[in-house]
Amino acid sequence: MILNFRNSIIFLSLITIITMGSLTIYSVTSIDINSFLRFLLVNIFAILLVVLLFNQINLNRIFSFGWLLFLLNILLVLSVEIFGNEINGSKRWLDFGFLSLQPSEFMKITYALFVTQYLRFYGFKFSKFRTIFLLSVLFISALPIIAQPDLGTGLVYVFLGLMFLFICGMHRYYFIAMGIFGILLSPLIYSLGLTSYQKGRIISWFSSDQTLTEKWNILQSEISIGSGGLVGEGFLNSKQNEFNFLPEADTDFIFSIFAEQFGFIGVFSILIMLGCFIVMTVLLTMTERRLTSDLSPYYIGTYCTFVIGFSFLLNILMVSGMIPVVGLPLPFFTKGGSSLLCFSIMLGLIFTSRGFLK
Amino acid sequence: MKDNKIQIYKTRTNILLSVFIFILILVIARFFYLQIIQGNELKELREKNINAFEYIYPKRGRILSKDGIVLAEDRKVFSLAIDIEQKPSEQSINKLADLFYEKINVENLRIKVENSIRFRKSEIVIEKLTQEDLAKYLVGGSDITGFSVIEGYERQYNPHPSIFHVLGHMGFINSSDVNYFSPRINDYSAKLWSKVGKSGLERVYEEKLQGQHGKRFFQRNARGDRRVITSTSPFKEGEELSISINFKAQKLAYDLMNERKGSIVVIDLLDFSIPVAISTPSISANDLRDISSLQYQDLLNDPARPLFNRAFMGLYPPASTIKPLLTIFALNNKYTNWEETIFDDGFFRFEEEERVFNAWREGGHGVTDLEKALVESSNPFFMNLSIRYEKDIFVEFLKSSSFGSKLCEDCYPHQFSPLIDDDWKYKNFGKELYKGDFINLGVGQGYMLTTPLHLSLISGILAKRGEYELPYLVAKKQNKLSISEDLTIEDWNKLHSSLIDVIYSPNGTGYRINAGELKLAGKSGTAQVVDINSREEYDEVRTNPLLRDHAIFIGFAPYDNPRYSIAVIVENGESGGRVAGPIAKEVLEGLLNDS
Repeated sequence: MILNFRNSIIFLSLITIITMGSLTIYSVTSIDINSFLRFLLVNIFAILLVVLLFNQINLNRIFSFGWLLFLLNILLVLSVEIFGNEINGSKRWLDFGFLSLQPSEFMKITYALFVTQYLRFYGFKFSKFRTIFLLSVLFISALPIIAQPDLGTGLVYVFLGLMFLFICGMHRYYFIAMGIFGILLSPLIYSLGLTSYQKGRIISWFSSDQTLTEKWNILQSEISIGSGGLVGEGFLNSKQNEFNFLPEADTDFIFSIFAEQFGFIGVFSILIMLGCFIVMTVLLTMTERRLTSDLSPYYIGTYCTFVIGFSFLLNILMVSGMIPVVGLPLPFFTKGGSSLLCFSIMLGLIFTSRGFLK
Repeated sequence: MKDNKIQIYKTRTNILLSVFIFILILVIARFFYLQIIQGNELKELREKNINAFEYIYPKRGRILSKDGIVLAEDRKVFSLAIDIEQKPSEQSINKLADLFYEKINVENLRIKVENSIRFRKSEIVIEKLTQEDLAKYLVGGSDITGFSVIEGYERQYNPHPSIFHVLGHMGFINSSDVNYFSPRINDYSAKLWSKVGKSGLERVYEEKLQGQHGKRFFQRNARGDRRVITSTSPFKEGEELSISINFKAQKLAYDLMNERKGSIVVIDLLDFSIPVAISTPSISANDLRDISSLQYQDLLNDPARPLFNRAFMGLYPPASTIKPLLTIFALNNKYTNWEETIFDDGFFRFEEEERVFNAWREGGHGVTDLEKALVESSNPFFMNLSIRYEKDIFVEFLKSSSFGSKLCEDCYPHQFSPLIDDDWKYKNFGKELYKGDFINLGVGQGYMLTTPLHLSLISGILAKRGEYELPYLVAKKQNKLSISEDLTIEDWNKLHSSLIDVIYSPNGTGYRINAGELKLAGKSGTAQVVDINSREEYDEVRTNPLLRDHAIFIGFAPYDNPRYSIAVIVENGESGGRVAGPIAKEVLEGLLNDS
């Protein structure tokens, strides 16, 4: 392990984010210090385990299983329909007894692995056929997620998949064309493709009627954030959480609780840490002297870094009322096995691709 | 080729990095806005989320009669309610229904519990537990969970119906109450869940009786579950109200009316307080509190109008009882004197309008002077006087006798006797007052209407020789008044002796009262309900009780040192002297023997 200044910053940022995430989860769910330690240990242990595990595996090995992993993932998503647990009217989770997993969370990783394996064979040259093929696979594989129904995860999956193709060098005309099509087709998709529940969420975001549940949730979230003020109410002092005014405080809306406890100073620090982690990781990857003809590890590493960064930002945009509520997890904060596992795997991929544990 | 790929990779990574940093700055700006700029505002919203309060209602003040009887008081009542914090179990529900099988239907209870839990609102299961119920629940219901006994107050009235109209009743506040009480009671939200006085003294002295409500502050979570009681603000119990009603006399007066419709009002001439004010028929105030809205509708539609307070609201023609008051007016303005006589043949002919008015006694009273006209109640004599009245000073005189103005500040609801002047007639008939109108006004008929309270006050004016004050139930308003005319002492003496003769002279219309030792002076009257122009019509009227004349009597006693003035009205009682007079005698006897 090369522990130079830049690596130290990256690790310090990451460990701070993970610790703050565990602390916040602890403050929401329990008043028992043991459970906090257990949670923190599980978090760190899981991340270390996955990272070290990935370090032992040759990335080429992983890439060569790309299509298999992707196919397996799709099958798991489909099997949710049969074996899944229904929560809030949508089937997303597979119950393994000790762990409850949401297979759709992993699609953003396996699709990237599949694309890598596929394009590596062709030296990452995007022919017309390959482009259309990869786009079709992306859109079609998003359908079972959207059908669960989980529009949020589905849209994020498509968005991140496109981001990966963007990193890999897909021609920009396709992005322009898709953008135009998307805008033109959006009214049609809205009226035909969405359930009334999904429409309700979108309508409520534009509506000023404070009595709507979605709007009420967002208002409570903003109240939470605002109550933190400059320095926050202090650790374990979230009244919005204590009096149950914030729904889903331990999952989607956990950052509001964090903001109430640690104030703007806490939020600002966390965001700066996130910025440091993302920017420095990406820059390190980009300025790697050993850039070889096979760019696939860098594609994957950069992609995973941005997935963590943008997931973080999208969740915070959501809880602060700037985008509609879409049910996105906050990396290393949200309580949930799949989210933790998913982001741990990504960290593993980042570090393996960078090779700075070697 | 390879370099090109690296170039594309770097460019695109830089683009994504820029987008990331841009969104990061946006997010920081957003949090700066929410936490620093809007922070205090949002924090206030959070406090509103958590902190709530409820009102603590104090015990309402008692109402006591002058003779020390409790007429109204708040009594503690216990009710059995559903405890939403610990949901009642099926077993508890069954057990409770068994325990109070005569009061609870198990199916209804189950539905009540379900709704109560669903809407998080406690509901009463049994209202007003009796002592036996309470004992039964405490002993037999020891293993019942999910229900709790809660305390409250209920207004308990003296059950005698005589007192209802004076005390009034309570009810939930509505918009007209808000208008009525504004701006004396400002915190209306506090009143939303409690009752306010709707009529009578309960309404007039609402402010005093209600006391000062307190607040209990507590914290609650998003479901409305209460967490901590943080503080309470002090509250003050309502003040006690001591009123001028002599309950013993009040009861006596009510019972003497013997279910007939009418009213009795007595004024204590020492201070012009009201010791007796009854309106019959009436109901017990407790009954009104407990009845359903359907039964309430029945009461409103009852032709006998038991909810209508005749004493302060009922308008009756004063008939002959107005004659002594008008005598003062006529003497002072030289329309007549004690010497003038007319020949009363039972009719009065008004030549200007070629109309003939019947008097009550067939054949008339013969040669009649003022004294005889008062004692035997000659209508032609007073009709003859009234065509001499000048409109302006007549109206002025009525005004000084409190026609057209509020008589009693704390009588509610209150109706004043209309002041009959040109304005009044224009408003009601579109014409000015004619000479002919005065012929009816002069004998207390036609447009002239007075309330029993006003008649009692007129009697007091006669007793106190023109000096009077406004009557009251609780709070005296220092306000010495007098009528605009004043007689010489001789004239007053003669007027008084005439009113004594009404009772004690064998020719007097009140001779049959047999007032004896009471030293009663007074004047009887018989108010026509319908105009009667012939004997035949009169016979028909006699067979229909609702068309019979109202019997009226006003008086005061003792005549040498007047203490009480009284007005008695018995609707369709026919004869003031024979029906209303004896009631007045007994009420006054009761009062005078008491003091």
